[in-house]
Amino acid sequence: MSFRIHALAVALVLTAGSAVAQQRIPLNDTALAAQGCNVCHGSQSYLSPTMPAIRGVDAATLYTALIELKTDKRPSTIMGRISRGYSDEQLKALADYLSKN
Amino acid sequence: MTSNISRRKILAGLGATAGLFAAPHIARAQGSAGRVVVIGGGFGGATAARYIKLFSPDIDVVLVERDATYVTCPFSNYVLAGIRDINSITHGRDPLRQRYGVRLVRGEATAVDTSARSVKLKDGANLPYDRLVVAPGIELNYAGVPGWSERAANTVMPHAWKAGPQTVLLRRQLEAMADGGTVIIAPPANPFRCPPGPYERVSMIAWYLKTRKPKSKILVLDAKDAFSKQGLFMAGWESQYPGMITWIAGKDGGKVESVDPKGMTVTAGFGKEKGAVINVIPPQTAGKIALDAGLAESNGWCAVDPNNFASRKAQNVYVLGDASIAGQMPKSGTSANSQAKVVAANIVASLRGVQPPAAVYHNTCYSLVTPDYGISVSDTYRPGPQGPTLVPNSGGVSPARATAAQRKAEAEYTMGWYASIIADTFG
Repeated sequence: MSFRIHALAVALVLTAGSAVAQQRIPLNDTALAAQGCNVCHGSQSYLSPTMPAIRGVDAATLYTALIELKTDKRPSTIMGRISRGYSDEQLKALADYLSKN
Repeated sequence: MTSNISRRKILAGLGATAGLFAAPHIARAQGSAGRVVVIGGGFGGATAARYIKLFSPDIDVVLVERDATYVTCPFSNYVLAGIRDINSITHGRDPLRQRYGVRLVRGEATAVDTSARSVKLKDGANLPYDRLVVAPGIELNYAGVPGWSERAANTVMPHAWKAGPQTVLLRRQLEAMADGGTVIIAPPANPFRCPPGPYERVSMIAWYLKTRKPKSKILVLDAKDAFSKQGLFMAGWESQYPGMITWIAGKDGGKVESVDPKGMTVTAGFGKEKGAVINVIPPQTAGKIALDAGLAESNGWCAVDPNNFASRKAQNVYVLGDASIAGQMPKSGTSANSQAKVVAANIVASLRGVQPPAAVYHNTCYSLVTPDYGISVSDTYRPGPQGPTLVPNSGGVSPARATAAQRKAEAEYTMGWYASIIADTFG
């Protein structure tokens, strides 16, 4: 439910902004890793029609979701498999980055 | 006509600064953040061009591409099934220019001078670079299947392994086929573009036949003894298309020895079979320009540094996507897109003279067994001594036992993945 609300909030922000005003991606480990999410979840400039929006979601909410996916406490199709590719610290950094970008 | 005019303008602009690059000791044009030339505008090349601009808009990025539009191999099997139109998988590259400032050059790269750092185009133009990205995809080996030829592929035995007219040709042959015929599909030995692709193709052709020509059969004559997501595909075939599909492994005589385009037959170890439709998927190498530029090993693929996909053969050159030897990563659109982001970050870091971020790679390949039945493989990789290497205890394929709702969810995510990766690649 919270994902749905945030997805709408992100959609509103995106439609209000200009497609040309792209934010520059910083050159660091977390920012680079986070770009991997875009192929399914979309990005600052594009929202996926079927995957939940993850950018702009509260960092703690996102981190909790990733840990629950990683430990199979939260059922998923592929996110359990993907989140196990990262340490808890890396997931925390990714959640922080995605919440702000 | 307009594209010719704009190309001339671009080339004239490039020519004006070409002198600056004539002396190899000059690292890059004065007052410029550097120039990157990208050969190939598919999933790898277009993503690299876009992300260099996203990391660093002041770098001059020139994307060289032969074709006006890109028809994606992903989803081309759905055109064969009749559930997608070819136009819906055809994409332009204008947003790369309009939104990100990538310079688009229509043309074919025919040679690379890695010491003078310049790319030669078929029309004679030279494009100087500080860093070069080579992402040409694959070259089909027409001589790799005795009896087959480019002419046979363009008439009676299509490969449809580069999407576009070949996809349409194979679709027309399926449409023209009478109910009760046999479709023969012959996948190659490893490595090749899109490991699950032939088997998704089997599934999608089966979907078309089941719904339109249910007395027909599919015979898969494979050079291999095992294939990607094999357990999932075979269970799906058994439950969704019982009795329709026969898969013969290489060790059981499945490896094709020759084809006869006139008689429409395929000879494999176990005998000669006649097909109403025959789809030959031939052996492959890296795209021709990678071979011509001396970037490939004797096996026809390009060795790279697993940390950044820098060529093992030439400095200031990066090879990515299907053309590269990418350790445990499959040759897929998602792999190429992922590698391109690492390459983009590394090129920007090297032009700035700073430490690059750590590489992490990702691949997700969805396949449809039916329009409502999706399966996937999804993996994360980090650099290792043998190339990008699976992160232990992560990734893998969809569960063998799953509910219809889970398979349906993966089919819906297949659609979402496509929309997102297209936006992430072409802007």
